[in-house]
Amino acid sequence: MRNLINFLIRYSVMILFLFLEAISFALVVNNRDYQKSVFLSSSNTLVANMYEASNSVVEFFKLKAANENLAEENTALKNEIIALHNQLATLMPQKKDSIRFRIPPEMEFTYISAKVTNNSTNRLQNYITLNKGRRDGVRVDMGVISDEGVVGIVKTVSDKYSVVIPVLNEKLKINCKFKKNNYSGPLEWTGEDYRFARLDDIARHVEFSLGDTLITSGYANNLPEGIPVGTIDNFKIKESDAYYNIKVKLAVNFRTLSYVKIIDYKNYKEQKAVEQKAAED
Amino acid sequence: MLRVIQNIFLFIILVLVQVLVLNNIQFLGFVNPYIYILFVLSLPVRMKRWLTLILAFVLGLTIDSFSNTPGMHAFATVLIAYLRNGIIHLFTSIEEGNNPIPSFYSFGVGAFVKYVVIMVIIHHSALFLLESFSLTNIWLVSLKIIISSFVTILMILGIKSMFKK
Repeated sequence: MRNLINFLIRYSVMILFLFLEAISFALVVNNRDYQKSVFLSSSNTLVANMYEASNSVVEFFKLKAANENLAEENTALKNEIIALHNQLATLMPQKKDSIRFRIPPEMEFTYISAKVTNNSTNRLQNYITLNKGRRDGVRVDMGVISDEGVVGIVKTVSDKYSVVIPVLNEKLKINCKFKKNNYSGPLEWTGEDYRFARLDDIARHVEFSLGDTLITSGYANNLPEGIPVGTIDNFKIKESDAYYNIKVKLAVNFRTLSYVKIIDYKNYKEQKAVEQKAAED
Repeated sequence: MLRVIQNIFLFIILVLVQVLVLNNIQFLGFVNPYIYILFVLSLPVRMKRWLTLILAFVLGLTIDSFSNTPGMHAFATVLIAYLRNGIIHLFTSIEEGNNPIPSFYSFGVGAFVKYVVIMVIIHHSALFLLESFSLTNIWLVSLKIIISSFVTILMILGIKSMFKK
């Protein structure tokens, strides 16, 4: 017994060291899951409030660029309204005999706009914090886009904040396809440069060229079809390979990201439920 | 007592500088210096070892909660806190009664630089390896370790050389 106590006293520092390291390691390992607890992340209220305060200073310097973006978007939207008005006018007479039972496809999505309060682009696992949370209707697994294109997927939600796992994170793979021929494959970040990512699973026989546009495929239940992802910057294929090695220039500039839209898909629950049921049977 | 207050201030300032300024610096595209470990580096030499460990753990967790990386910084920081005494004894011979704060003046320039270099490299290696958690990106990770360590070491030595103590 005395030996045991002596042993404990003698190695107490070592034991404390191992204990603390074990806790840290457990935190790291638990955090590898796609869903993690809100605790100790930047959607934690104290941390998020502080980031918001610091962001209010930095934001000032980004106002000009943000303004230009908004103006551009505004004109695009106005043009679209005019075009839609014209279309609607031509379609009017036929509307009488068509009765609608379901949500029309153009109303399946609504947007929740949010501001970026914390953002990193220099790690292997980057995250983005937004200032909208559960009380604004944000749910886990919603898609996030900016005016330029796809940003990522909501990972954690607290009452007022949410954390997004962006394209610039090795854990996220977004399924996207060529705009011109619909061949699709997963897009993955390589961890080196915030401007580029890699597209996999495009077979040798697919025809495409530099500068082709990639859009979301709509095969997931969080991002609708047709949102720009990026353009082909470069591609390689060896004589022996079956698949191309494609370098994609991302549409979104993650370094200057300040306003985003969260996509609320109205039929999310139904689609998820029926997919789960199919998987269980 | 004065030392305790000084260290509390150092802790808060280092965390704020790290989180609000340095985590936003993207030097050369993906390099991120971590100077917050200066706190662990400059604790008094004869500090109780268990206290050093606990302080390092708290510091690591604080940085973690600001950068969405639970456990990683805590792990790396506790590791260097544990190895600190061994490394100090390796390079210096401080007399029994003394309890100096590690610096150019108490250690001598050569010994202090060696001490900082080794500690920073251990910390950054642990941190970046833990971040990637696999060996698939080993070249990218090694590059990050080397460049980030270099920048951190320069910054720490620069800060230290400004203080005459």
